[in-house]
Amino acid sequence: MTPVTSAPARIILICSGKGGVGKTTLTANLGIALAKLGERTTVLDADFGLRNLDLLLGLENRIVYTAQDVLSETCRLEQALVKHKQQPNLSLLPAGNPRMLEWLTPEDMQKIVKLIAAQADYVLIDCPAGVEQGFKNAAMASQEAIVITTPEISAVRDADRVIGLLNTMNVAPVQLVLNRVRPKMVANQDMLAVESVTDILALPLLGLVVEDEQVIVATNRGEPLTLNGSATAAGKAYHNIAKRLRGEDVPLIDPSKERKGLRARLMNKLRQSGLF
Amino acid sequence: MAAEWIPSVDRERPHLLKLPPWSEAGDPGHEVSDALLVAPSLRGAVTLLCGPWPLRPGDFRRVQELLAAASLSLWSVWCQEEGAKVAAASLGLVVDKPPPHQDLIAGQGGQRQQRNTALDASALSIHQGTVRSGDHPQATGSLLVLGDVNPGAQVSATGHVMVWGKLRGIAHAGRSGDRTAQIVALHLHPLQLRIADQVARGPEEPPPHGLAEKAHLVNESIQIDPADPSWPLGCVPAPRPGLSSGGQGTKLA
Ligand SMILES: Nc1ncnc2c1ncn2[C@@H]1O[C@H](COP(=O)(O)OP(=O)(O)OP(=O)(O)O)[C@@H](O)[C@H]1O
Ligand SMILES: [Mg+2]
Repeated sequence: MTPVTSAPARIILICSGKGGVGKTTLTANLGIALAKLGERTTVLDADFGLRNLDLLLGLENRIVYTAQDVLSETCRLEQALVKHKQQPNLSLLPAGNPRMLEWLTPEDMQKIVKLIAAQADYVLIDCPAGVEQGFKNAAMASQEAIVITTPEISAVRDADRVIGLLNTMNVAPVQLVLNRVRPKMVANQDMLAVESVTDILALPLLGLVVEDEQVIVATNRGEPLTLNGSATAAGKAYHNIAKRLRGEDVPLIDPSKERKGLRARLMNKLRQSGLF
Repeated sequence: MAAEWIPSVDRERPHLLKLPPWSEAGDPGHEVSDALLVAPSLRGAVTLLCGPWPLRPGDFRRVQELLAAASLSLWSVWCQEEGAKVAAASLGLVVDKPPPHQDLIAGQGGQRQQRNTALDASALSIHQGTVRSGDHPQATGSLLVLGDVNPGAQVSATGHVMVWGKLRGIAHAGRSGDRTAQIVALHLHPLQLRIADQVARGPEEPPPHGLAEKAHLVNESIQIDPADPSWPLGCVPAPRPGLSSGGQGTKLA
């Protein structure tokens, strides 16, 4: 029972090149945030080798079928999609077993994504690390992309490579999320500054997520930060990313530039209100 | 007697195709098609050495067609006869003087003439947009990048490398041995520079803000100086598409 779809779904790849920089965390949190905004969102775990999107969303124990079963027509898509209990706008299509990597073709991937897209507003694809076949399959099935990186030279270098590849594959627009920013380290020049990263990557900055131990706590609980309206810095950042993705104008604040203290905050407010 | 091939050894320069000595009854089309029979596997750009042959646009067009049918493209010509030069230029071909013989075989060491062959090659390839990590555009002739060259990326050319943006990766000018080649960038902060067979690590410090710089060979070593404001506008090369991008990144040794 598919409602008459208005606009076609946006199919967004979430990728990084380097592993462990926060793709899956972003996919889970962004998925919840978009669902909360009323968008029908499906997250697809394309990391068949090391699947863990189900874990982060706390859906591991409810998986019956996977993308593999949908492809082999063992089940229908609706049967494989796992709906989130608290946020029914969000569903997950779990990855098949790691062997799937060996036979999955770009066409298979495109077929799956097309099926999902027919009944969603947003399709988020959690991409495997690297630039090999798994990445290529996922990229070929995507329209646009979010590249996530941390402010470290190696991660930025890999992100740059991925952006170049996405350009050749006509995935556009490509936007940037900078994750695990530590304002203190940036201030001490122990970490790349936000501008240094955006200067090299030359992409619009969709969001900035600070290093936040609540992210790890939430991960271990299987409840993404965005689920319970927690007011942590990272949680807010993910919500803002969701809003910007939908075209809302939410100003970006560089945490390493934000002056602390009430007085500084007041000054910032005044400045923003245009009095200064 | 057919035209004679001098294949390029490194794919950085065009293959040379030399017409036999001119005779009144000669037909350049025949000479070229005979030559194609003996070199079926060559691909890429070709420079036609015409010597004194008084070729006309129709002749060049015929040669172009023959080469195109064999996946080769006529890029430049070397000719002595004035009418042939005009004819070639009218078809948009690059008209060149023949280089000293040792220059014919690219990629080999040995003393080269110290003239400005980089600009004589008069081919300019333009790369639009950022060159990203892992990319490696390569040009025969000079390369102009309209954008940044990022860390992890490499650009190289047999002629000059010019970056209208920030050079933060590796640049190699004069890749076939041209020591007059230069590397110019609006913001020259490379990982590594190479000119001909010389290699230098990039400077630790970023360049002064807003100062374009050039790297060139001075006494066998690479030196960085403020860029010459009029260079290379003194002799603007003819634009030519035909950039090959090497996909895979070239790892540093
Ligand atoms: N903003 C953050 N603050 C603190 N920890 C974070 C943040 N973002 C991610 N992490 C942690 O970093 C680790 C890696 O995150 P995640 O699994 O999302 O990365 P990934 O890019 O999907 O990795 P892989 O390439 O292995 O799939 C996790 O332990 C996660 O909790
Ligand atoms: Mg992951």
